[in-house]
Amino acid sequence: MFKQFISTIPGADQYMIFSLLTFMIFFSAVSLYMFFIDRKHIDRMKQLPFEN
Amino acid sequence: MSTPLSTIDQFSYDNKTVRNFAIATIIWGVVGMLVGVIIASQLFEPALNITQYGTFGRIRPLHTNAVIFAFVGNAIFTGVYYSLQRLLKARMFNDTLSAIHFWGWQSIIVAAAITLPLGMTTSHEYAELEWPIDIAITLIWVVFGINMFGTILKRRERHLYVAIWFYIATFVTVAVLHITNSIQLPISLFKSYYVYAGVQDALVQWWYGHNAVAFFLTTPFLGLMYYFLPKMANRPVYSYRLSILHFWALIFIYIWAGPHHLLYSSLPEWAQSLGVVFSIMLIAPSWGGVINGLLTLRGAWDQVRENTILKFMVVGITCYGMATFEGPMLSLKNINAIAHFTDWIVAHVHVGALGWNGFLIFAMLYWLVPRIFQTALYSEKLLKIHFWIGTIGIALYAIPMYISGFTQGMMWKEFTAEGTLQYGNFLDTTLQLLPMHIMRAIGGTFYLIGAILMAINLFKTMALGTLLANEPTEAAPLISDDSSIRGGHWHHWIERRPIQLLVASLIMILVGSLVELIPTFMVKSNVSTIEAVKPYTSLELEGRDIYIREGCVGCHSQMVRPFRSETERYGEFSKSGEFVYDHPFLWGSKRTGPDLHREGGKYPNAWHFQHMRDPTAMSPGSIMPAYAWLMEQTLSTTETQAKLSAMKKLGVPYDDVQINNAVSDLYAQAKLIQTNLANEKIKVSADKEIIALIAYLQRLGTDIAKK
Repeated sequence: MFKQFISTIPGADQYMIFSLLTFMIFFSAVSLYMFFIDRKHIDRMKQLPFEN
Repeated sequence: MSTPLSTIDQFSYDNKTVRNFAIATIIWGVVGMLVGVIIASQLFEPALNITQYGTFGRIRPLHTNAVIFAFVGNAIFTGVYYSLQRLLKARMFNDTLSAIHFWGWQSIIVAAAITLPLGMTTSHEYAELEWPIDIAITLIWVVFGINMFGTILKRRERHLYVAIWFYIATFVTVAVLHITNSIQLPISLFKSYYVYAGVQDALVQWWYGHNAVAFFLTTPFLGLMYYFLPKMANRPVYSYRLSILHFWALIFIYIWAGPHHLLYSSLPEWAQSLGVVFSIMLIAPSWGGVINGLLTLRGAWDQVRENTILKFMVVGITCYGMATFEGPMLSLKNINAIAHFTDWIVAHVHVGALGWNGFLIFAMLYWLVPRIFQTALYSEKLLKIHFWIGTIGIALYAIPMYISGFTQGMMWKEFTAEGTLQYGNFLDTTLQLLPMHIMRAIGGTFYLIGAILMAINLFKTMALGTLLANEPTEAAPLISDDSSIRGGHWHHWIERRPIQLLVASLIMILVGSLVELIPTFMVKSNVSTIEAVKPYTSLELEGRDIYIREGCVGCHSQMVRPFRSETERYGEFSKSGEFVYDHPFLWGSKRTGPDLHREGGKYPNAWHFQHMRDPTAMSPGSIMPAYAWLMEQTLSTTETQAKLSAMKKLGVPYDDVQINNAVSDLYAQAKLIQTNLANEKIKVSADKEIIALIAYLQRLGTDIAKK
């Protein structure tokens, strides 16, 4: 069904792939960032609600 | 720390606006819940449908709008106005805008409370308000946006705490959803038609409806949770990393899941499948939030034992966890086949609304009001009673509704050994559920009593204390060329750039939206054309508008799903091509009464007349209200021509002759129905509203049979 839909609209396949890639790249980048994030920065952000 | 004292800014936080929104939350909460208890009671005691302005069909939207936009909406603004200022170390951007926002929003609520009982409705669930009010919502939302971004731009804290990301995503997505789902062609001041029709209208509506849950009932509350829970428990959020990850995943994935409201409907199969896949994926980010919330309390569970406000938070977050596990399960087609259109969905929604939204709001108000009024809470005892009565209320509400939902779903599908429907009379299934509906109303009453206790407790607290309207504080201003903040990871970069964050959020939500919506509008093969399907006659169109005005869609679906149990009961399953002239679609989401898509020709006109006058006369035991006023009120034909012209503009193939003769054609058809009724010894004038409604009901689903 999905395949059938893609084939019925010109350029739709590129658009679908583009949208999925947009998210995948962004999500992967955020995930990677999680590993390399600065510990001090995290601690600072965590404390923000307590500064007032 | 090293900033010289002379450069420290002295300023104050605006607590007055916070107080105003808090009071509005409390009052509208009690009103909305009271209407909820009334409509719940109408489902076992039809006599409670008092006058045409108080029927279930008309005041059910009043309940949903009041609790979503008045209670929850005001609570969001309370929490945002309180936390935003403190997280950004800045007073709200502009006090006048804050006042316009507050009074504008309350005026919209009052307008809704007046127009909905009058039957002025677009019929789109949770978007029922007519076009002038829609415009007012847009304007006030923009005021809120300017005030929020103005505050962000003049902030004294460079980095935006994760709660603010959720607020930004809420602002931008609600704006997109509201505008897209409000594109209507006005006929008069309080009547309009959606530009979308049938399947497309259904997809837009449930894209909106689902994401209203996501971006009005979820994302702002996650933001509030990330601010208030650490404050309440006096410990930082468990994992800031997780909060970043689940933020992006949540806003991206949520937007795709809308079609799970339309499984087995006439929506194209690919769109349904897409909805299911993304709904299942939603478990991950949702539970990311739940885990982060509950683990924030790690090592603090002794506090939970003593602290009732934290108890509210724990039950609230747990309910969020339950509802967001159940939601994806309900989107599985085999489960949806049983659950859809039943009380199961009502139970699911209320676990989220009463538990997650309600309890989080209660906790926030109990924590915040004594602080801005510089006093202790009036009564800890009332607080404890509220917690327990509210929790019992949720259980008493949800459990009977689950049982009712299973019972209903199974009874509809039950066949005898001979292959006929076990419960061929729909009413048998309705009557079976009445004890559950009574228990549900009791549960709702418990919850309402809890909210009233809270109102007393908080108003007493306000009377005891003094509002610190302008809370003095100080902070160092931002230095624009601070070299210490340069560099860092790219995400580090976006965390200090609100506009870029807004754009990134917008891209995330638009990606899913466009993939869903564009093909359904562009690809012709997604909506099959059926030659036999013709536009409604002018009388039928007027009858349809009465159907919309009375809120019939609140109890009756118009969507026969392709199951044997449904085709046996109602007739041929519904095709997408049958709805091409339906502005708006009226598929409905709940079957308190039977589906009506194949109602046309099923009963004689006289049956409909008697049934509308007194439903129990034709269906003993029926819980449907009587619609006696339809026999007395004269059908207004002043807008009939304008309605046909508007439909033509929207693509319905009426010709000029049909438009010019709209009123005379209407009376000619009405006369035929009147004569038919007279033959059955029913005397009624041809210009009464009931005639138009009968014409519409008799037309429903007959195009295919005519073929």
